[in-house]
Formats: sequence, C-alpha cells, structure tokens
Amino acid sequence: MMESSSLIAGTALLLLILLVATLRLLASRSLQEPPLARGEEDITEPCPDEFVSRIFSRDDWEFVRGIKCGSIERLFSRERKRVALAWVRQTSAMIRRVMRGHAEAARQSRNLEVSVELSILTQYVALMAVCAILSLAIQVAGPLWLGGLAQFAQRLSLRVAKAQESLQARSLAEAARPGTA
Amino acid sequence: MLGQLIWWSGIALEIALLVRGLRGQLVRRLPIFYAYIAFVALQEFARLLVQSNKRIYWDVYWLTEFLGLAMGSLIVFEIYRVSLRAFPGAARMARNALTFVFLTAVAKALANVWASGGWRLDSTAFEVERALRTVQAAAILALVALFLVYSIPFGRNLRGILLGYGLFIGQRVVCLTFMPPQGHHFWFYAYSAGYLVTLIVWLSHLWWYEVSPVANNAVPSDREYQSIAAATQRRLRAMRASVRKAVRS
Repeated sequence: MMESSSLIAGTALLLLILLVATLRLLASRSLQEPPLARGEEDITEPCPDEFVSRIFSRDDWEFVRGIKCGSIERLFSRERKRVALAWVRQTSAMIRRVMRGHAEAARQSRNLEVSVELSILTQYVALMAVCAILSLAIQVAGPLWLGGLAQFAQRLSLRVAKAQESLQARSLAEAARPGTA
Repeated sequence: MLGQLIWWSGIALEIALLVRGLRGQLVRRLPIFYAYIAFVALQEFARLLVQSNKRIYWDVYWLTEFLGLAMGSLIVFEIYRVSLRAFPGAARMARNALTFVFLTAVAKALANVWASGGWRLDSTAFEVERALRTVQAAAILALVALFLVYSIPFGRNLRGILLGYGLFIGQRVVCLTFMPPQGHHFWFYAYSAGYLVTLIVWLSHLWWYEVSPVANNAVPSDREYQSIAAATQRRLRAMRASVRKAVRS
C-alpha cells in the first residue's frame, strides 16, 4: 500500500518536473520565433452563437448526404472536424486567459479566500478536462457523432428523470394507502 | 569501479557548485541550499573515511542520510520563502496546501498504525526514508502545481534548484520503492547517476547570479479581489454554459 503511494508520488513528481522543463524549453524556443499576427490565443471574444450551434449540428450533414457524393461527404467531414477542433482550442485558450487574469490578481491579494480559490480552480480544471475530452472525441469520432451522443445523453437523462419521478410518485401513493404503514 | 566514478564525480560537482556559489554571491541569497550542498559534500568525505568498517559505515550512512533529509525539507521551505515573498495570496494558498499534505501524511501514518494493530518497531530505515521522501515529493508536487496555477515568475537560479531537487526526490522515491536494502545493482546505480544529473542541473542553473523577475501588478484591495473573483466565476460559468449549449445544439 505504502509502496504504491510512494511510487505514484515519485512518478508524478518526475513527470511534472519533466513537463515543466519541456514547457520551459518550448517557451524559450517560441520566443526566438517571430510572433503570429493573430493566433487562437489572441482571440478575446467567443464565437457567435449561431456559428457555434452549427458545428455539432447534424442539419448540414443531412444536406450533404442528400447530394449523394462520397468525395463531398469526406471533404465535409474533414472540414467540420477541423472547425470543431479550432473552436475547442479557441475555447480552452479563452478559459486559460480568464484563469491567468484571475491568478495574476489573486496571487498578490493579501485577503485571498481559500474556499473561493478552490471553487474557481475546480471550475477551471473541470472545464479544461471537458475541452480535452471534447478534443479527443472529435479526433476519434468526429463532431457530428459527438452532437448525436450529447442529444442521446440528454434524451436518456430526461427519460431517467421521468422514470424517477413516476417511481417517487408511486412510492408516495403506496405510502399514503391505508394499512401500509 | 562505476560506483567509485559516480562518487568522485559527485564530490567534484558539489565542490564546483560551492565554489561558483561563493564567487557569484549566491551563498548569501540562498543560504539553506548552499548549507545543504556543503553538508552533502562533507558527508561524502565522512562516509569515505569510515568505508572500511561496515558496522560504523552503516550507522554513519543512515545518520547522515536522515540529517540530509531534514536539511532537504528546509530547501523546500527556502523555495517557498524566496519565490512567494512578493505574492502574499499565493503564499497563503501554499501554506494551506502544505498543511493539507502534512495532515494527510499524518492521517495515513495513523491509519497504517491502526490497521497493523500498533507501532511497527521492525520498520527498516529504508521504509522510514521512503515514507518521509514521499511526503517531500507530495509537498514539492503541491508547490509546483501552485506555481503553475498562479504563474509565479521564477528566476533562473530558483528554477534550477526546484527542477533539480524535484528530480532528485522523484527518482529517489521511485528507486527506494524498488531498491533492495544492500548490494550494488541497477537501482543503486540509477539512484547515484540520478544524483549526478541533479548536480549538473544545479550547476548549469547556478553558474551565475540572475536577478529574479519582479511582478509589477498593483496589489488589489480586499474589495477588488472579491469583485475579480466574482467576475472570474461568472465568466467560467458562462464558458461552461456555452460549451454545453454548443455540444447539445
């Protein structure tokens, strides 16, 4: 038991130190390269809702499929995947920007509240994890499948909630029936 | 032969580190770190002197090993003290994180005592060192994570100490997990060679003194901090809602 926790702590520390050293190396290399005119990191405003809502929507896909041309279908899938990945990268860059701005102010505050910081940190880690999972899912299965999966999950959760409600109502009715108590 | 080569290389690197520290006035700025290096160099000579007498050697070995471990913990404190001097908010978070690590370690030790039905007097020095090094590793992990979250600017010197010491503790914990108590085997050489890598990292980062970058942000008042924190939470919630809406559309 002790051995496994030691091994985990030691390996985690080694990996983190190597990661920090690598990031430092990459950062020093990128400083030597000319800066990009307008990268994804520089974008401060989120994409318009009408644009974002179409990334994972199946409507365009249904339209393209209706043309019945394999090459257009493949081109559409490839392009939609690229747009979806760019949106995820941009979103995570904006989340990082928000967190960096907060960290720069909070680190010097004399009245920092630990509970507030932990809550912000939890939200940040959860969002970054969602972005990482989204990116992985888009790479593996594509944005259209992801949209379908989200809708399926939503329908399923609604069905579970309804079933739970009816079960609760039935148990309440049984409890209220005379002679059951 | 290989063991001797590693040993003498280690002593040479430690002496070079001390000489550069004295010449570059780094000893005055990082006294605990250089006291640790001086101690380790002296301990190498002490072990060398008693090497022929196995019984005395093991007593000296474990005594100096635990003294080194205690001084190493002070290095973690020095990193905390020097790097977070200008950042009271981050320093407060670090104190809480280190207290959490310490309390978790104590709770785990008590749980182990409870599970085994009492104090185990047959715990070897190896097991004790592994447990203490694991606590050190967890403390450094917590500190590094905090430095990353709060984007604490590091000077070249302090970054070198942190990288080198983190590398040393990480590989020490891994080696202690697999290392048989005696003999010259793979893990023995891995540990010794890992320490040489640590010394090279220290020497390359502490060859000269470099002024640490200073944050020039204005210190926010209590009310300003509250409004910044509220705005951050609001923006993160909005981002979450936006992601959810996009995927469900």
